[in-house]
Amino acid sequence: MAMPFDDPATAPEEALLAAFAAGDRAAARALTLRLTPLVLAHAYRLLGCRAEAEEVAQEAMLRLWRQAPRWRPGEAKVTTWLYRVTANLCIDRRRRARGGSVPLDAVPEPPDASPGAAERMQARARAEALQAALDDLPERQRQAVVLRHIEGLANPEIAEIMGASIEAVESLTTRGRRALAAALAARKEELGYADER
Amino acid sequence: MPMNDERREDAGLEPFFEAARAHPPAPSAALMAAVLIAAEVAQPAPRRVPPMARLRDALGGWPALAGLAAAAAAGVWIGTALPAALPGAGQGAYLVDVAPDLAFDLTGGF
Repeated sequence: MAMPFDDPATAPEEALLAAFAAGDRAAARALTLRLTPLVLAHAYRLLGCRAEAEEVAQEAMLRLWRQAPRWRPGEAKVTTWLYRVTANLCIDRRRRARGGSVPLDAVPEPPDASPGAAERMQARARAEALQAALDDLPERQRQAVVLRHIEGLANPEIAEIMGASIEAVESLTTRGRRALAAALAARKEELGYADER
Repeated sequence: MPMNDERREDAGLEPFFEAARAHPPAPSAALMAAVLIAAEVAQPAPRRVPPMARLRDALGGWPALAGLAAAAAAGVWIGTALPAALPGAGQGAYLVDVAPDLAFDLTGGF
């Protein structure tokens, strides 16, 4: 039987998934609102392409819906499962693209003239520079760095997602950070970020 | 890598990670709609609960139902196994006469 919950916005994902499997439409909406942005962001950071990330996010969420009736409570966190499915879908796509670099999204950002616009533009430029550097990392390093430093997960959960040991995850993030630091040091000078040391 | 270098490297990267966290790609309306439609298609129909199961749940599940059944069986037993008639008022008075020690409330009166 589905676990009861008072507010779909704050209910645990596992309870929502059980409610979804029992036919609760509010649970479907709550899971969509909560998890689609998460999956999209992760796919974008692994692929560097907005359009492809949307396709991956759609596929990953479809797999979640199909998995719901067979979900075994307490076995894995819903988000852990989703990160793993998303990463696998991204890896498949990149391999199908024969390792060629995937272009960054070419949609121009609208001009922003509101207060604090300069800071926001700088933050956006930093995010884009980081994404470009991430795109050049080897697959596993990129995945480990994104999960650790952007998604903010702990090493044991990353190890579970990646099917690797904690030591391997540590090694991947260390090498990934080192490569990113080298790539971004060059970009800092190029973009005039003399204030970031 | 020495620990100090690693710390310096992390500090240098943190503004970039922070910027990435602050600017996640927002899902398009088309993506959200597609995910919701997929949910609707994939979602199992709401479970229909049979009337007997609903009654069982309303009464408190199997343990409560077992208690109820035991109480009902006890009622039936009391109704069938005890003497057909308890002493009436006249019989009670007769017993008091022949056995004064029994002069307590056999008839339910005072």
